[in-house]
Amino acid sequence: MTSQADFVQPPRIATWLVNLFASPEEAESILGDLLEEFCQLASRSEVAVARCWYWRQTAKTITHLAGSGFRAAPWLTSAVVVGGFLLYGFVSGLPDKVLAAITDRYLTDWSAHFKTYMFVASDGMLIAHIMLSMFIGCLVALTAKGKEMVATMTLSLILCAMAGIVFVASIAQLWPTEDGLWWMLAQLAGPFAILVGGAIVRSRRSISTTGMESLC
Amino acid sequence: MSGRDYLGEFEHIIVLALLRLEDRAYGVTVRQEIELRTNREVSIGAVYATLDRLETKGYVKSHRGDPTPERGGRSKRFFQVTARGVAAVNRTQRALQSMTEGLDLIRSYS
Repeated sequence: MTSQADFVQPPRIATWLVNLFASPEEAESILGDLLEEFCQLASRSEVAVARCWYWRQTAKTITHLAGSGFRAAPWLTSAVVVGGFLLYGFVSGLPDKVLAAITDRYLTDWSAHFKTYMFVASDGMLIAHIMLSMFIGCLVALTAKGKEMVATMTLSLILCAMAGIVFVASIAQLWPTEDGLWWMLAQLAGPFAILVGGAIVRSRRSISTTGMESLC
Repeated sequence: MSGRDYLGEFEHIIVLALLRLEDRAYGVTVRQEIELRTNREVSIGAVYATLDRLETKGYVKSHRGDPTPERGGRSKRFFQVTARGVAAVNRTQRALQSMTEGLDLIRSYS
């Protein structure tokens, strides 16, 4: 007779996250161990408890993997992060300039194309900024071979911290809170897109080593 | 002898767990052995990070077992303490014993 645990699967997103941060050799051992203990726990107690345990282990494991990944190649990772930061600084104003040039060239009579003009000036700018950030994330990840997520996560955290400092400073200058929050969210979209870019490159690289059966 | 020859607290615990488990030492058993004996929740990531560090120092060595179905077709990584590892444990134990000698820890400092 098969028990409930025979059909239980560990959380897929958690497994994917471990795959992102671990090297293929590390992922083989760590995911195997996590699955083995998850199945033991699921057969002994409730599945929800086992899933909760799996998520807790994943969160702690990712922290250790990120730390040990940085310590394993501190200079390479730092150099890639600094390079990514400088590139971000140089090109972050590019979408605004390109879109401004487009609107100047093609939307001279803005009152006739009011909706298009408004889209380009607001959402278009944000989308272009996100696309560019994702591209920078991909470049950083491609350079930091084997340390894709550590490098993109470090760069994202630095940019988030800078946005946070500016946000706090802006509150001190009594900015309208609603605009300030919207500005903060728009600023966080860039670092998040960098992280997504890193995850895309990492997933593409580890695609050949994944696809194992993960059922209890 | 330099300070680097001593094991850190978690390294010490891990090597002792490997010595207790003998040829059954891999991620799951090491993690469970530590939890059982220290009542402290340990993450598998912390165990592997420390084991990798110990392997780099030459205190442990590892080999891969066969893939098993209960692990989703993944293999186990077994660990073994080397002679250098045993010497490092002895050195650390002696240093700790020397430091605690003559101290009545339970009565004086609890």
